[in-house]
Amino acid sequence: MTDRPAHGARTAQPAAFDAAAAFRLAALLLVAALVLQPLLATLFGGFKDLGELRTNPFGLPDDWQWRNYWDILASHRLWQVLGNSMAIATLTVLLTLAVSSMAAFAFAHLQFFGMRYLLSYLLLGLLFPAATAILPLFIKVRDLGLLDKHWGVVLPQVAFGTAMSVLLLRNAFRQLPVELLDSALVDGCGYIRYFLYVTLPLSRPVMTTTAIIVFVASWNNFLLPLIMLDSDSKYPWPLGVMMYQGQYSSSWQLVLAFITLTILPAIALFLIAQRQIVAGLTAGAIKG
Amino acid sequence: MKAWKFVGAAMGAALLVSSAAKADVTIKVLHLQDSGPTLDLWNQIVKDYEAANPGQHVQLQFLENEALKAKLPTMLQSDDRPNLFHSWGGGVMRAQIKAGLAEDVTGWSGDLEKELSPGAASALTDQGKVYGAPFDVSEVSLFYNKALFAKAGVKAEDIKTWDDFLAALKKLKAAGITPIICGAGDKWPMHFYWSYLVLRAGGGNILAEAGAAKDGFKGPAFVEAGKRLKELADLNPFQDGYLGTNWNDSAGMWGDGKGAIQLMGNWIMTAQQTYAADKKGQASDNIGVLPFPTLPGGKGAANVTLGGVDGFLVSKDSPKETVQFLTYFLQPKYQQVAAAKGFYIPATLGTSDSIADPVIKQVASYIAGSSKHQLFFDQDLGPSVGRVVNDTSVAIAAGQVSPEDGAAAVQKAWDER
Amino acid sequence: MRMASEGGPSLANGPMWRSGLVTAAIMLPPALILFTVFVILPIGEAAWYSFFNWDGFGRPLHFVGLTNYLQLLGDSAFDHAVADNLLIIAVSLLIQLPLALGLALLLSRRQIGTAVFRLIFFLPYVLADVAAGLIWRFVFDGNYGPISSLAVALGAGPVFLLADPRWAFSAVLAVIVWKYFGFHMMLYIAGLQGIDRDLYEAAAIDGATARQRFRYVTLPQLAPMIRLSIFFSVIGSLQFFDMIVPLTGGGPLNSTNTMVSFLYYFGITRMRVGFGSAVGVVLFVICVTFAFGYRRLFMRND
Repeated sequence: MTDRPAHGARTAQPAAFDAAAAFRLAALLLVAALVLQPLLATLFGGFKDLGELRTNPFGLPDDWQWRNYWDILASHRLWQVLGNSMAIATLTVLLTLAVSSMAAFAFAHLQFFGMRYLLSYLLLGLLFPAATAILPLFIKVRDLGLLDKHWGVVLPQVAFGTAMSVLLLRNAFRQLPVELLDSALVDGCGYIRYFLYVTLPLSRPVMTTTAIIVFVASWNNFLLPLIMLDSDSKYPWPLGVMMYQGQYSSSWQLVLAFITLTILPAIALFLIAQRQIVAGLTAGAIKG
Repeated sequence: MKAWKFVGAAMGAALLVSSAAKADVTIKVLHLQDSGPTLDLWNQIVKDYEAANPGQHVQLQFLENEALKAKLPTMLQSDDRPNLFHSWGGGVMRAQIKAGLAEDVTGWSGDLEKELSPGAASALTDQGKVYGAPFDVSEVSLFYNKALFAKAGVKAEDIKTWDDFLAALKKLKAAGITPIICGAGDKWPMHFYWSYLVLRAGGGNILAEAGAAKDGFKGPAFVEAGKRLKELADLNPFQDGYLGTNWNDSAGMWGDGKGAIQLMGNWIMTAQQTYAADKKGQASDNIGVLPFPTLPGGKGAANVTLGGVDGFLVSKDSPKETVQFLTYFLQPKYQQVAAAKGFYIPATLGTSDSIADPVIKQVASYIAGSSKHQLFFDQDLGPSVGRVVNDTSVAIAAGQVSPEDGAAAVQKAWDER
Repeated sequence: MRMASEGGPSLANGPMWRSGLVTAAIMLPPALILFTVFVILPIGEAAWYSFFNWDGFGRPLHFVGLTNYLQLLGDSAFDHAVADNLLIIAVSLLIQLPLALGLALLLSRRQIGTAVFRLIFFLPYVLADVAAGLIWRFVFDGNYGPISSLAVALGAGPVFLLADPRWAFSAVLAVIVWKYFGFHMMLYIAGLQGIDRDLYEAAAIDGATARQRFRYVTLPQLAPMIRLSIFFSVIGSLQFFDMIVPLTGGGPLNSTNTMVSFLYYFGITRMRVGFGSAVGVVLFVICVTFAFGYRRLFMRND
């Protein structure tokens, strides 16, 4: 576009190109505006007072109400729900990685009678969501005495994440050169030591991908904590933000500030590690 | 779990021996009290109780009304269930008792029953056994904004019959005022209209009669109530978007003066402050209260009232201290404060003289003069039928279900209950 | 032969075979036990409980046969929920898919700003459904939301989209497209980048127009990704729940329930374990049938 003649007749070619490019840009900007508007309205809405939400729905706040945010930041509540989410997600990731990498290793390298059936059995977990059996699952968690405990959320999450994780990890483990395993076994290094000292260190990328997928799923999970947890002191943030909304429902400016603060960690992480997260979430979906 | 409990018990026992102190007890209370000033009083009671009873702790846990109703069924299944949980009595409570969720605390405390007015206390009993205690009594009435009535030239004292009521609504509407605020998104606020209309058409014993007869809920009183409700809704008296407004928001709107009337229990008096934009709401002297209008030719007089109690049920396997706390909580010393400050109408005897707020006083006099104080339909009819009554009331008002089909749906739920 | 290639030659020998068995015995049980206890057993129990009228206390004793299923069939709220699930699928296919594909075409080549646009479009997918639901509840709010304020400014009076049974679910569908199109767009971008450039060059040499190139090169090459995207749309619709609670709570008049939110509001919050389990079983059968059927019919070669 910069090499267009400064003056003189325009040829048809660049004009058509310009129109297409302009159309492309206009379409993209329009969609971007539609995507961002609710998010920006939420962010800035948290800085307004209730009256201004109505009189000034789209603009920047006239009078920045920093207090809305400061009060929430200074309160125990926000940190508690974020901390709970962190605890639940961390436990879920660690346990899922431990359990599924072991299983994936066995499925990748060991061939006994029935192993293929066992794998198919595990992969049944890919076919239906946790919601289908949520009531019996609730009864089970209750009978195990895990209601209103983080473990009551973590263990079902691990169980439902196992199928996808095992599949991802097994495929990756199998791509490691077979010669490595052969020579290791000949050298008298057992499977378990090979797993710990060769497979795991060499599989860091796929472990990271799996961890991201499991972490995001746990961080955003709503249904399981909704049903398993009772005390607000144990609520993860999706329950916390719902509860906050229930309490301050008419004070939208506070609710918007609270929403903004709870989604900020996810957005910040996404902006920092966008490449890995996009790749992880889409790749996870495709391969899973 | 069992093993850990055993270890815990053993450690507890060891502590007991070594320090000769009484084992700590924590009493968990699940409530839906959203009014700040009321909670201040309750927290004070807890503080005093803990100070007077070393080793005992009381935890108040708040859940907003709808969240509590949604959460309670799963919550009560937990080992760590609350020891005291909110109840309105009635069929919902009986279902909980039948499921073994509530503890029979008859005789646990000699003072508990003596503290309370006998009528109210009986609300949380079943077949002569005590399962908990109410802290207040309430009545559903028409609360109105005096200034808005004056602006539209509506005289409250002229509203006696259903036709008077509809005429007042038209007048308000003509004056550019939203006549009624209703949180129909939560459904139960709308069921108050249908319930009252059933009571006005069929009289105070209509629910008992309908339950005993075959197809009783399809009877004329129920169909008539649906028709009147539709007639009301056809005037478009509700605020815009009322089908999506939840109760908290509706209380706030009414407190903000965005509509003239709200048919609600007297808890609206504190809720309209809690949820108003300015946290103050309408001043008490701008609020008036009216009995629900009568239906021409109906069997129910104006002194047939709808309402109930708010109280706490004791959950299964709760320690004895639970009732000790409940008794302490309900003592006149504290409940007089609640009465004096207009938080609610306490169920505790010897508190009625303390009521200062004229509106609350008025409601209390309605209850005192009631020929029949019918419990909220959705609580009285039990969990499954109650939900259908709520759904049906909103569906009739929205014109989705005919009055006849609505009555039939309630009958079906009753038969399948 | 497989054994030799995957497990190493030494597996056939005695000591290694035993060490392999020991390894399997150590490494498999944790995953299998957790999976069995929290995934497979509950599904079996759901089938069992669905024949009972049970409030969750004690043991299920009140056998009612197929009553729960019959009630479900006659329940207009459930019919509505199923219809809503189908609507989600329809909108995913007819609106979201073309939108995502179109944007993917616009953003598949590296140009100035491409990365930023991709990032923006993917952003809603990163948010939790609960947060997205609450944000849009505000956007649609009749009293304080921007849409309503805009309508008032234009003289149309406040709009209460989520309170109107005729419009509430359309509003939910709009949020679904907003939230998920970016994810599908990324799938298509990944697919487009995998297409061999030579194919386009060959088509260009043959004198194909842009339209023809799209029709005869891009679409067929992208077909596996499109099939995958459709698969996700349907599975996503079948388990759609989180956003319903903050947006509408299934209302007004039960007009915005999905099957899972129906299960929540009519089964779980009322502790009707048998009835709720019947809903779960129906959902399970639909999911499994779809997953197997779809894979068999459309994704055999992918």
